[in-house]
Order: sequence, then C-alpha cells, then structure tokens
Amino acid sequence: MENTIIRVMELTKTYRVPVRAEGLGASLKSLFKPTYSEVSAVQAISFEIPQGEMVGLIGPNGAGKTTTLKMLAGLLHPTSGQVSVAGYEPWQRQPQYLRRISMVMGNKSQMLWDIPPLDSFRVLGEIYSVPKKEFERNLEELVQLLEMKELLTKPVRNLSLGERMKCELTASLLHRPSVLFLDEPTLGLDVSMQLRLRRFLADYNRSSGTTVILTSHYMADVMALCPRVILIHHGKILHDGELGTLARRLMPFKILRITLKQESMAENELPELPDGVEVLEAESNNLNLRVPRDEAAAITAKLLETLNVADLTIEDPSIEAVIDQVYTDGGQ
Amino acid sequence: MRPFRLIGSFMRASFQEDAAYRTNFFISLFTSLLNLLTGVLGILVLFGQIDSVHGWTLASTLAVLGVYLVVSAVRGLFISPSFDSLSGMDGEIWSGAFDFTILRPVNAQFFASFRKWRLFALLDLVLGVGVLVAAVIQLGVVLSVWQVLFFLFMLVVGMSILYAILLIFAALIFWSPGVLFTWVFDGLFQMARYPANIYPGWLRMVLTWIVPVGVITTFPARALTDSITPVELVVSMLLAAALLVVASILFRVGLRKYASASS
Repeated sequence: MENTIIRVMELTKTYRVPVRAEGLGASLKSLFKPTYSEVSAVQAISFEIPQGEMVGLIGPNGAGKTTTLKMLAGLLHPTSGQVSVAGYEPWQRQPQYLRRISMVMGNKSQMLWDIPPLDSFRVLGEIYSVPKKEFERNLEELVQLLEMKELLTKPVRNLSLGERMKCELTASLLHRPSVLFLDEPTLGLDVSMQLRLRRFLADYNRSSGTTVILTSHYMADVMALCPRVILIHHGKILHDGELGTLARRLMPFKILRITLKQESMAENELPELPDGVEVLEAESNNLNLRVPRDEAAAITAKLLETLNVADLTIEDPSIEAVIDQVYTDGGQ
Repeated sequence: MRPFRLIGSFMRASFQEDAAYRTNFFISLFTSLLNLLTGVLGILVLFGQIDSVHGWTLASTLAVLGVYLVVSAVRGLFISPSFDSLSGMDGEIWSGAFDFTILRPVNAQFFASFRKWRLFALLDLVLGVGVLVAAVIQLGVVLSVWQVLFFLFMLVVGMSILYAILLIFAALIFWSPGVLFTWVFDGLFQMARYPANIYPGWLRMVLTWIVPVGVITTFPARALTDSITPVELVVSMLLAAALLVVASILFRVGLRKYASASS
C-alpha cells in the first residue's frame, strides 16, 4: 500500500510467567527456585494499515488484542517480528515517534485527579511542546466537538465516567497525533454516551485523517466505526477485512428459537433432533438451534411435527452471535 | 529551556493539587514544627551536659541538623512525591498508569523524578535554612563567599547521593511493585540528623561510605568549618557520580523489564 502508516510483520510476543502450584509449601519453594512457563500471547501476525483508516481489533478476552496494541504503541517489546508505525520502531520510544501517537485506555486515566481538566491539558501541552496558539485552537475544536465546555473547570474527581472519557480523548488529541490507539474507550459507559463518543470518533477521524486502531468488547462500537476489523484469537489473526464478510462466512446458518409447551426440559432429555442441527442453548423449555440455511425450512417443518412447539422464530445470526461462534470454536 | 519550562508546569499543577486539600497544610505545618522541635531539643539536651562530642560543638551539630532539614525539605519538595506516585499499591507501576508516563515524549527518568511537587515542603525549607543561619551565628565565624559556595557545592553533592539512592529504590519497584523499599532507608536516614562522628567507629564508617547518609549531611556542615580534606572531597564527588550512573542504568533496565512484562 502506498500510504501505509502501520506495517506489522510476523509480530510475536511470548510472556514468561511464573508458575506456582497451590499451597504454602509450593509458595515457599517458588521463593527460592521460581519456575517459569512461556505463554505466547501473539503469534506471528502480519497486517498493514493505510493512513487515515479506522481499524477495529476484536477478539475474546486474552486473545492478544491489548498485547498487539501495546506493541504498536511502543509499551511492549516484541519477542520477534517487525513493527513500524509512522516510520519508527515503536519500542524505541523516540520522542519524535511519541509526539505522533496517542493512547486512550478505558481502564486507566491520564488526568490529574484533583485539579480541573484544563490544568491537566496545559501540562500536556507543555510536555508535547504544542505552541500556545495551536494549543488553544486544538482545545477549542475538541471542546466544541465533545460538548464539554462546562467540564473544563471542574475537578476531574467530580466528573462522571463518561465526562472523564471526554477529557481523556481531548487529552490524547491535543498534540494532533497521526495515530490514535484506543483500548476499550467505551468501557462502562452508558448507551447514549457510547453513541456520542462514537459519533465524535467518526467525525474526528474523517476531519483530521488520524489513523485509529480501536479495541472494544462492544460490537456496536466496531460496527459503527470500523469498516475493517482484524479478529484475533489465541494470538493469531482469524479474519482481516470487512465485518460483513466475516458475518457472511458464518451466515450459511439460521437461528431457530423454539419455545416448547412442556414446563421444563433437562439437559439429558433433549428431544431427538434432525441431522445438521446444533444446539446453542437449551434452558427450561427454550431451545436455540443453529441450522444450515438451505435446510432451515425442511428442518423447521420436521421440528413442528415432532416437537410440542408453543412458539418458533427463525432469525439470521446477530453479529454478536457470529463473533461468539468464532470465539468459541475458532471460526472453523 | 525546555526542562525548566516543564518543571515549571509540573510545579504549577502540583501546587494546585496540594491547594485542593487545605487541611493538609495545617497537618504539614504541625509535622514540620514537631520535626524541628525534636531535633533541636535532642541537641540542646545533649549539649546541656557536655560541651563537645568527638570535637562536635553545639553550633556545628546544629549545622548538621540544619543541613538535614534542608536536604529533607528538598527531598519532600519533589523527589519523594514524584517517586511515591510510582510505588505502592495505588502507585502507577502497580496500576499500570505508568503506561502513560513512558508514552510521553520526555525522558522517562526526568519525568519520573520531577513531575510531582509538594508545596508544603517549602515550610521545611524555611525552617531548615533558619536552623542553618542560627548555627552559623553560634559558630561565630564570618563566612567568605567561597566558603558559602563550597558549602552549596557539598550540599549539591549530598543531594545527588540522596537522589541516586532514592532513584535506585524507585527502580527496584519495577521488580516488586508492592514493596516500599524506601522505608528501610528512612530508618537509616534518620541517623543523618546528627554528625556521623558521634556514632561509634564502625557505625561511622558504615554511615559515611556504605550507606552514605553521613556524606549527605555531615560533609556540607563540615564545609562550613573548613574541615573537609581534599581526599574526602574527591571521594564524595566520585561516589555521587558513581551512584548517579548506577541508579540511572538500573532505572533503564527496570523500564525495559516493565515494558516486557506488563500486560
């Protein structure tokens, strides 16, 4: 790609973690002779991201998303492989590189707790050597986009979680980075705040051309913001492309939701089901089944015949279900 | 100059943070006065009985206390607050907020050392300078400009040693984030209130060259009375330089460890 800003080749990260058996004896033993095991968090992943793109990094907990993001930002030293962001090797953390990136973490704050955000912003302006005029202009713009003028003078500790996230975003964009890393930025926020932040990120990405890499557990974030997703599972890339193509890969299925008339149904007394039907959920008298799309009609007819059905619906799998499918059986 | 502008901006923000907690001001004032009182009282009691201990008079002992208070004040002004924000269970290294610190385009050691200031430590500074002035008056000598400059130089050497030791402790946090290494050191540092010479021979050697708290306070005080030998001068400078280098390397190795271990 011509205007590639992020290039990742065969990137690998292996952690060395202490292994400790349970019990006091084992704890004491590990004091003197610790044993370690190697955990590979990211295994030889490769991808490229062009300038200005917004990419979602998705995957279940422990998939290697945050590790990847941290290696891109320069917080983690890769075990092997290459990363280049804006022409720099991130882990060297050269000041010129750090001026071009920024990171927002949903579970960590960069604000000074006891003073108003405006004062934290000024310190950051100094740290990033943003000229005074430019600082005022950037601040003005961000404050307007995020509608947060009235927050500027309240101590951060008095702000709500959502208000604080607005501050975090402003803090990270004051120096106009070329690349923005967002790690779970909407964590714990209410739906309307999520919506507003999403709109802000989309607008900002469009107007500034900032490249954005986002990890999120909320599929809605990714669906709304990222034309391209990179799905990581067990440290490997399972899918790199449109979210839609990922869904279609698993779309040959339909979801049947059946409510049975009988009161309850134990796991071991599941009714006999036709071939090709997979039970997603069986609880009390509800059954969620996944069936091949082209056999959906035939199977439905058969089920209506054999089971005592009170209610039945046929749905396309939701994107969450598609993702869940990938998370549980690795997209096979 | 960028470092000074940065320090200025860290100071402004920190002082604003301090000002948010007004009661702390009065508690700080009380602790400072208590510190001063116990130090001075101990010396007065001691010299009420005898005129000198191993050649140390009331005036020169008071000078050591003055230096101790000034050094402690500078430590409390920025070194301790900055390093304390890294350590402990609510510290940045434990919580992972240190991620932001190393992503700033500022030298990490500089940033970690200068970013938090404690306004109230200025009180201690004033009190310490007061004790020093009183000691010089008691000494009954007229100091030349050179003596004052030499004293200030020895004070900087002492401060550098203290800073290096504290930086080493701060670096150790990378290996064991929950541990407060400085607590052990503080017990020893308390002994630097009094001249190293009043302690028994072996302890004096330990306090001067092994855990060099003696050099931090006793040497500057001795500079006031011209009793530093050239050898002591050179060795203490070399010690300061060596400790600064070691501390700086250890901090960098710690940073690398942080970067390869955190998740």
